[in-house]
Amino acid sequence: MEEMIKTVDLHKSFGELHVLKGVNQTIHKGEVVSVIGPSGGGKSTFLRCLNLLEKPEKGKIYFEGEEITGNLTDEEKKAIKAGTMPKLPKVNIDIHRQKMGMVFQHFNVFPHLSVAENVTMAPTLLKKKSKDEATELAKELLNRVGLLDKYDDMPSNLSGGQKQRLAIVRALAMEPDVMLFDEPTSALDPEMVGEVLEVIKGLVETGMTCVIVTHEMAFAREVSNRVLFMAEGNILEENIPDELFGHPTHPRLQDFLAKVL
Amino acid sequence: MNFELFIPNIVKIWTNYWRLFLIDGLSVTIKFTFIAVLFGVLLGTVVAMLKMSRFKLVRFLIGVYVEVIRGTPILLQLYVFYFALPQIFTFVKLSQTTWVAIALSMNSSAYVSEVIRSGIQAVDKGQTEAARSLGLSSGQTMIKVVLPQAVRNILPALGNEFIMMLKETSLASTFYLGDLMTQYRIVNAATYLGFETLVIIGIIYLCITFPLSKLVGLLEKKMSGEKSYKKHSKKPDFRERKFGKV
Ligand SMILES: Nc1ncnc2c1ncn2[C@@H]1O[C@H](COP(=O)(O)OP(=O)(O)OP(=O)(O)O)[C@@H](O)[C@H]1O
Ligand SMILES: [Mg+2]
Repeated sequence: MEEMIKTVDLHKSFGELHVLKGVNQTIHKGEVVSVIGPSGGGKSTFLRCLNLLEKPEKGKIYFEGEEITGNLTDEEKKAIKAGTMPKLPKVNIDIHRQKMGMVFQHFNVFPHLSVAENVTMAPTLLKKKSKDEATELAKELLNRVGLLDKYDDMPSNLSGGQKQRLAIVRALAMEPDVMLFDEPTSALDPEMVGEVLEVIKGLVETGMTCVIVTHEMAFAREVSNRVLFMAEGNILEENIPDELFGHPTHPRLQDFLAKVL
Repeated sequence: MNFELFIPNIVKIWTNYWRLFLIDGLSVTIKFTFIAVLFGVLLGTVVAMLKMSRFKLVRFLIGVYVEVIRGTPILLQLYVFYFALPQIFTFVKLSQTTWVAIALSMNSSAYVSEVIRSGIQAVDKGQTEAARSLGLSSGQTMIKVVLPQAVRNILPALGNEFIMMLKETSLASTFYLGDLMTQYRIVNAATYLGFETLVIIGIIYLCITFPLSKLVGLLEKKMSGEKSYKKHSKKPDFRERKFGKV
């Protein structure tokens, strides 16, 4: 399978706090990977490193084969100093981010833009699409998530679930190759969780590559090809959902599942 | 002081000198205020942007500029611009009024830059993250996402700055530059009715600042909260009107 995202020895600290401690992981094209684990284990940080919302101070991230952090290993630094390796060109992360959609816990829809403009702004501004094409796509996507009748509304008129569906559509409008979800249903009232999960499920069925940080264990088990258990700054266990949930081996995972299930 | 004559004195001063207050003094006060706030906003915007510059030295220098202005009395700054600078820059031929206007503008710029900066910082960080995650550059994010929201924090605060500045222009009277407070000095010298004159001038200031601060309060209310974002009244285009939406 084609590699979509690969991290090598990823480290991230906030001041003294060492949050990611050398994460190695590969997400393949078409895969749906869920990330579960206790609070503070580094799930969000890991996800946010993937599109460099957090800059890892050490380690590499390959997105569709291209290294995007600009971090160098010690050997590479030496080689560049010695002149045996050319300096690497500066990475333009904006280009890569256009291909990685991200959905946040708190939606972060743009309150000053209408529903339609939320969706069309990025594709038109970044010259991916003409105004007409972007509008066409926005209508199609909004229709798919049941928001077409809100086309001209302002986000303040939307419920939490609708806002999150809008946020998903906004990301999809850039026609990304991978979607990153950070607890997309955690800020929702319980009765709205279902509608958002349905939309994500629908997206999974289209073959979209997804990385989903979630506390919805049943959902993770249902949609994922693979589940990562993350705690203490690393992936302590990973497996296909039935195995990971059915036969957890790491004591931390057993402990965690005993608490949440 | 004779309290029985208080009201008659006020009436007398008003009938004799209202032109000095309303036509001469008030117009100068308002002129100073407008100029100071206008250039204060222009310069303050630049200062705010430089304060967020990626260059440390620029940030440092701007920090010094803002701290010096905010940390010294405005009267001291006016003295510098009125007495000291014209002597240093003898080749610059500016009127005294202009020097004072420059001092007021620079003073305003420091405060305005802080207003702008905190207005920008008050925008939820999630907005920036969402925009960047879509692939917008930091400049595009600023223009398309952050500033349109920051304006709602900034505009009411600029109204307050206008009110502050209106009062601070009274310091121009130190140099007899014709503002409302200067008129007080003129009328007082002619009538020796200082308190009555001050009451009149105070009421004139209040007549402007009170409605303005009510207005600012209204603006604040109107511009707060997500609900306050209204759809811009873009008319549906021809096709949509004729054939219905979608
Ligand atoms: N910007 C930041 N500055 C400082 N510390 C941070 C920052 N972001 C995260 N942290 C810290 O890093 C650790 C890992 O946080 P992270 O958000 O990745 O955990 P998580 O697994 O997503 O937890 P949760 O399930 O609560 O979302 C936590 O201790 C958190 O307080
Ligand atoms: Mg998290």
